[in-house]
Amino acid sequence: MKKLLAALVVTTLMLGMSTGCAQKQAATETKETAAAETKEAAAETPKADEQKTILFGFQDLETEFWVAGHNAIMETLESKGIKVIEKNANEDANKQLEQVKDGIAQGVDGIIIIPQDGESAVTIAGEANKAGIPIGVFNRPLSNKDNKAIVAVADNEVIAEQAVEYMAQEAKKLGKKVTPLIMVGDLGDPNAIARKQGFYNVIEKYPDLFNKVVEVPTKWDAATGLANLQSAMQANPDVDFLFTSSDFLFPQIKAVLEPLGKWKKIGEPGHVIMGGLDGDSTAGKLIDEGYIDATGVQDVYFEAQAILDEMLKAIEAGEKTPDVWVQDPGFALTQGNVEERRMDMWGNKLREDLK
Amino acid sequence: MKDTVNKLLLTLLKNTPIMLFIVIFILFGILSPKFFSYTNFENIATQASYVGIIAVGMTFILLTGGIDLSVGSIMYVSAATTGVLIAKGMPIPIALCLALLIGLVFGAVNAFAIVKLKILPFVVTLSTMVAGRGVGLSITESRSIMLPDTITKIGSTRIIGIPLPIIIFAIVVGVAYIILAKTTLGRQIYATGNDVEAAKKAGINTDKILFTIYILSGLFAALGGIISVAQLGNINAGFGSGDEFDAIAAAVLGGTSLFGGVGGVLPGTVIGTVLIQMIQAGLVYLQVNLYIQPIISAGIIFLAVFLDSIRDAKINKMERRKIRTEQAPASAK
Repeated sequence: MKKLLAALVVTTLMLGMSTGCAQKQAATETKETAAAETKEAAAETPKADEQKTILFGFQDLETEFWVAGHNAIMETLESKGIKVIEKNANEDANKQLEQVKDGIAQGVDGIIIIPQDGESAVTIAGEANKAGIPIGVFNRPLSNKDNKAIVAVADNEVIAEQAVEYMAQEAKKLGKKVTPLIMVGDLGDPNAIARKQGFYNVIEKYPDLFNKVVEVPTKWDAATGLANLQSAMQANPDVDFLFTSSDFLFPQIKAVLEPLGKWKKIGEPGHVIMGGLDGDSTAGKLIDEGYIDATGVQDVYFEAQAILDEMLKAIEAGEKTPDVWVQDPGFALTQGNVEERRMDMWGNKLREDLK
Repeated sequence: MKDTVNKLLLTLLKNTPIMLFIVIFILFGILSPKFFSYTNFENIATQASYVGIIAVGMTFILLTGGIDLSVGSIMYVSAATTGVLIAKGMPIPIALCLALLIGLVFGAVNAFAIVKLKILPFVVTLSTMVAGRGVGLSITESRSIMLPDTITKIGSTRIIGIPLPIIIFAIVVGVAYIILAKTTLGRQIYATGNDVEAAKKAGINTDKILFTIYILSGLFAALGGIISVAQLGNINAGFGSGDEFDAIAAAVLGGTSLFGGVGGVLPGTVIGTVLIQMIQAGLVYLQVNLYIQPIISAGIIFLAVFLDSIRDAKINKMERRKIRTEQAPASAK
């Protein structure tokens, strides 16, 4: 009896485990049908036998950036009247591989993924290559070029450099040396390393403008970022130039700077020159309010469009393993160009959508 | 003379975690004088408070020879539910109470499966860890949730000049200390951890003990989650992920045995929790190369656990010798 009960509880727990996934999957698949149906009418509706089916697998919607990326891809696919099979891997690379295999078995015309990491992207691209189905990889590049894919990736180094360059120009106006601080992302993430490099490119360009850099590890974790920034500000109270490798850390930056009297608007005494990278809605709001000077923006819409264009081109040409890398040059939204470029930033578009 | 040296050595060995804590604190202070400031120590204690609260719950579990891997997910579910409900207009006190209730329910589910169905704690809590994360992700749809300033004010409130998270941590530690050191329940927890069969033969209702501690662990996890979000100001999908391992490390560093029956929250778990946070803060103070930091951090934790493991053997050996030397003259008479 106890064994039976034990089996029952284990089954219940396992069901519970899959509840989240199942609900989400059900929701996304329903959305897939509904969205495809409604948008199809408005779009350039192809004949049923010509309609393309694309599997869109994403790792999760952990941050606003991935939500925006997901929306951008869905909108782009739907605008072309493409049937989308949408799959959420819930941050599980193996699950994503299985989902792609299922899609291949269903005979999809193309695959687009937002992978969990560069390594798993290589494996998944290999599966698609073997099956002779074009695959597009959004924003997270393959860790090597062993397998072929259409890759759209932001040039994180250049984007970071653009944001930090604007901050440096603002620092020059102070007429004194400033003490820079960088909140570094996970050292295992190539994007974090590229952003760090972009920051240092500017620091090294103006050796007379900057004191020694203070580095703060965050491991892309808000609690770690908060704790380490608090320690760093305690040890280096003269920090007056702060760059975060991701905008999602701005609430924690505010939590640390505010009690120190350093959370000040531009132009107010004690303002810390601040910038970030991503272009999320929090950064957009803080730019509008005048707290931060600049943020590097990845152009998710450009990336989504580039993948789809290349994908359709490959399908039309009968090319089974296209190998194209598209660089998203991004841009920096700054206090200097916010009037003209405000709505080019995906975070501001999300804010508008929520209104 | 030899006795005095032995006594001194024994005292030192019995207080290895505290000794190590003091040595590391002084070392960081010498290398970076600003490290010795009161503000820094207050920051470290504040940052450590939420993991400390979870680690107290974990200490109860470890004392019985069990483990609870679900605490990080319980933090997430509780905090996420609170965040979503507050965003929908629920009064904050009710939402916070609900968060604690969710912790209790998860703890009760763990307890039921472990006590009544006799499933291993590792398997049960691993399942609730994954299930809890899934539930949390469904609630938030993986999106980040911003919390109102009222919540973040809890994190920065001071009572008689002391940050509220430290006060809550101190209360939790105080209650846990009284339970473990001064009550029958505490003695029964140690007895269950030392030898569950012997405890049963002695008339202890071990099922009731296990039920109580898993519920307590769930409750402390939810409370830790509330303290953490009050400091962070937002909840993202990774919230609480990996905190279960920090809690286990803190308890073990403080001298709690993974095999049950040995350890305590004061000074044990408190020292362990603050030590981990202090190492992290010290490395930032010294601006150690980011690639080297995890290696040093892991090295110190390994050293602490290693010293702790040889300490027990050494203490047993020294105490055994003492008994023999005292018995010798008696038998000669």
